[in-house]
Amino acid sequence: MTPPLYEVRDLVCSYQGKKVLGIERLDIAADGPTAFVGHNGSGKSTLFRALAFLLKPESGSLTFLGRPTEGHEELLRRDVTMLLQDPYLLRRSVFENVAYGLRARGERRGIEDRVAEVLEMVGLSADFAGREWYQLSGGESRRVTLASRLVLRTKALLLDEPTANVDEENGFLIAEAVKNAWLRWGVVPLVASHDLPWLDEVTDRRVHMKRGRIVEAEVETDFLL
Amino acid sequence: MSNDEQRPSPGGNRVRRASREVNALGYLSEGFLQGISLIFSMNEEVWSAVSATLRLSGLSMAVTLLIGVPLGFLLGYCSFPGRGVLRVVVDALLSIPTVVVGLLVYAFISNRGPLGSWQLLFTIPGMAVGQTILALPIVLSLTASAVENTDHRLRSTLLTLGARRWGLLFSTLREARHQILLAALTAYGRVTAEVGVSMMLGGNIKWHTRTITTAITLETGKGEFSAGIALGILLLAFSLLLNGALSFLRRRDAA
Repeated sequence: MTPPLYEVRDLVCSYQGKKVLGIERLDIAADGPTAFVGHNGSGKSTLFRALAFLLKPESGSLTFLGRPTEGHEELLRRDVTMLLQDPYLLRRSVFENVAYGLRARGERRGIEDRVAEVLEMVGLSADFAGREWYQLSGGESRRVTLASRLVLRTKALLLDEPTANVDEENGFLIAEAVKNAWLRWGVVPLVASHDLPWLDEVTDRRVHMKRGRIVEAEVETDFLL
Repeated sequence: MSNDEQRPSPGGNRVRRASREVNALGYLSEGFLQGISLIFSMNEEVWSAVSATLRLSGLSMAVTLLIGVPLGFLLGYCSFPGRGVLRVVVDALLSIPTVVVGLLVYAFISNRGPLGSWQLLFTIPGMAVGQTILALPIVLSLTASAVENTDHRLRSTLLTLGARRWGLLFSTLREARHQILLAALTAYGRVTAEVGVSMMLGGNIKWHTRTITTAITLETGKGEFSAGIALGILLLAFSLLLNGALSFLRRRDAA
């Protein structure tokens, strides 16, 4: 049996001495996308930063695919990637942005093809690869940052408000790309969003959060069917 | 002689003043034209000063960047005890007067100084020591600021893309590259325009240590206005080139 993607136990995260996240128990399945919903300040972004190993929890334990994570964060960041709420494009070309993670992993061959493939997945033509970061619109920038995560084919892909400040068309393209990453490569998307109609496009599996706690984990089995 | 004959008439004064102004304008334009002609006739003295300036600024900037960029990067990137104090000291050194640097280095490299045996006084390398001390605080301070002012999302972004320690370091350096280049150009502007260090440590020796700025000082003192203008035009051309590059980089960085 496949172990859960994450097992969270008694996880506590604080910010400037104030507890912002306190999760007693949460299992996140590895067999499909999961959405995290909740109001602003409900702790979604903090939880995602902890799951992406960007934030060290104050206490509690976290396992990833059955393996303990403490002390192995640097290595595990190669299996997990995250698209931040307000994503940042490196001051270089689109190609170099998308290829960055592959090169960081020491990959040298086939980079051009993989970059072209993910650019196409997010609805951008191959000639976008040569553009500089300052030549992109807001929606294009968002899709390039998503492509730079998709190309890594990690085990988990965390998306924090991926459709914030994005128009309907770009939102649709992002949803399609995320679903394709799961269907083609088995990349498990975890999505935090306020945009419930958009989330319906991606998954029916919901985890509800409120004031740093899980209030309900609702599982449906018919996602992506 | 009557009083009327001795006292110059108001009309005559105006004529004489106007005539002096015309002469002064003629003197300026003549000096300017001669200056241009000195540049294009490849006057050896003029081009010797240009060559000394380029060799000197090239050497001092090479040393400054070699020391200043890595140290400035670490100053902006790392947290360590005393960092704040060090930052204040570096910032204070930005306004150090050139003659004070000249005096201190002179004391060290003159024959009676602790480094006198190195025979650096009145040589290009000796002048470069002084100019490096002038330029180093600029590169240190502006590089540290460039790194401190990189986008707050950069570190998280690099980590999510799988960067490790060295990847983080070099990618941060690359993100700050335009600002670091600005630091280098600012420092270059300072070293090419200074007179104090070059005069005190170089001695303004013809064909050897005479730079554009020290030559302008000398030629103007001698009343050789045209040579001063020729050198001034070349210095302005350098300055315009530098400022053009600076504004291009600023525009690109702001995009």
